Amino acid sequence: MLSIVGKNIYVEFPIYDLKMRSLKHTLGLGPLARGINRLAARKLNVGGQIGTGHAGRIVIKALDGVSFEILEGDRVGLLGHNGSGKTTLLRTLAGIYEPVEGVIRTSGRVFPLFDLQLGMDIDATGLENIWMRGKLLGLTTKQIKDALDDISEFTELGDYLQMPIRTYSTGMALRLAFAISTAITPEILVLDEMIGAGDAAFLARADARLKTFLARTGILVIASHSLPILRQWCNKGMLLQAGKIVAFGPIEEVIKRYEGIVGGTG
Amino acid sequence: MLALSLRQVDLAVDDLRTGIGSWRLCNFLAWQDIKQRYRRSTLGPLWMTLTFGVQIFTMGFLSAYLFAAELSKALPYVCSGMIVWSLITQTVNDGASLFVASTRFLTQVKCPLSVFLLQMLWRNVIIAAHNATVYVIVAIIFVVIPAPSIILWPLGLLLVLACLAWIALVAAIISARYRDIQNLISSVFMILFWLTPLMYFPEQLGRKRFIADYNPLTHMIALVRGPLLGATPTLNDWLVVLAIAIIGWIGTFLFFARFRSRVVYWL
Repeated sequence: MLSIVGKNIYVEFPIYDLKMRSLKHTLGLGPLARGINRLAARKLNVGGQIGTGHAGRIVIKALDGVSFEILEGDRVGLLGHNGSGKTTLLRTLAGIYEPVEGVIRTSGRVFPLFDLQLGMDIDATGLENIWMRGKLLGLTTKQIKDALDDISEFTELGDYLQMPIRTYSTGMALRLAFAISTAITPEILVLDEMIGAGDAAFLARADARLKTFLARTGILVIASHSLPILRQWCNKGMLLQAGKIVAFGPIEEVIKRYEGIVGGTG
Repeated sequence: MLALSLRQVDLAVDDLRTGIGSWRLCNFLAWQDIKQRYRRSTLGPLWMTLTFGVQIFTMGFLSAYLFAAELSKALPYVCSGMIVWSLITQTVNDGASLFVASTRFLTQVKCPLSVFLLQMLWRNVIIAAHNATVYVIVAIIFVVIPAPSIILWPLGLLLVLACLAWIALVAAIISARYRDIQNLISSVFMILFWLTPLMYFPEQLGRKRFIADYNPLTHMIALVRGPLLGATPTLNDWLVVLAIAIIGWIGTFLFFARFRSRVVYWL
């Protein structure tokens, strides 16, 4: 049974560039931070809260005590303003940020897929990049070999796979990256914005591949500003505001809450 | 601040274990680094060997002339010393930029930090192996016979690598937080170059021999260079390097356990 359970999670980013100690004394940054906070809480709701962290320094509270339970079969869409903590939450789910406080218990292997082209080298051939990217995604030599035919057939790159991807068009490179990344079978998939690929003619095929890819995923967590995408892929929604979860439930209900906050413009 | 929980120790052990377990990936990535550096060049990695060769011959001749040594002694000495020296400086300098340079990876995938360390270490060993071909040529030309202690040579090399690994790891962690460290380290090593017997023999320092003796790098280099040149490393050399490796790793492990999870936050 796959699951991610978070209890009272705090993620805070220290701000070192501010030279806070001297600044706090000379300028009184404490009141300033409180001022910004009040402003943010009242009006904008953009960005995490600025405050004093556990070690007593100025921090941005990206996740401010969140708890949740995501179970197998859940397709969770993350909603919220810019800087409300969506990306931080995704990275925390993926184990990239270990919370300053609180526990996150994950059963199942998490695949974060934030940048499709991570680790790809433009001077290497398409084939070499399949190996590189495959290894980075944690595939075994056998799994990559098995996926080769499928990838080359899907991308329709043919002999281009023997060429450096420097010679590819943007669409071709993206297509390759998309094909490799969707060759895996993730237990828990974490996405920041929906992945897509290539030109219009290719889009239909990409869509079909994406559908099967997402279908064989045990748990999906995706952050997006696009309501149609969230409606299409998700059964649950999680609304974040200034690092706190303000709603978690059926997707339609959460979208309603979200529209209420942004004034129906989302 | 310095409190260390059992959980942090567990996670640190886990990081190191997974890193070592992924040696295939580390090996693959290390070679990929080298391939990437020399892609589209006709000579490829041979450039490393050539550049190094020219450097060694220049330094060897200069050293023989300056310090009135025989070329047949000076050249193999400078060559073997410089192979180890390049390995040391390259590894520590790469260490200082290790996590900062991998920001894109570290913030996008969950990956043990030790994978980056091992990849970098192995990459520099591969480069040192390329440089070593110059020594083989020099040794053949001047008929340099290794000492019987050569059987302990792999052990010496391994010890030196163990030292370099912890120094690089500490440098990598600190430099993620304080970006000045990178410049500091490269400056320090520029100075250390002159204080380490590479171009000259320790004996030539005369009454100031302590400069070489108190320099830990002298002993590291002696462990690897000595047997090749027909000299047997002293017990002192072994003990110094062994102590650096063991004490260093104990301290480094605690430091790593404490700050491992913070590294990503600092990037």
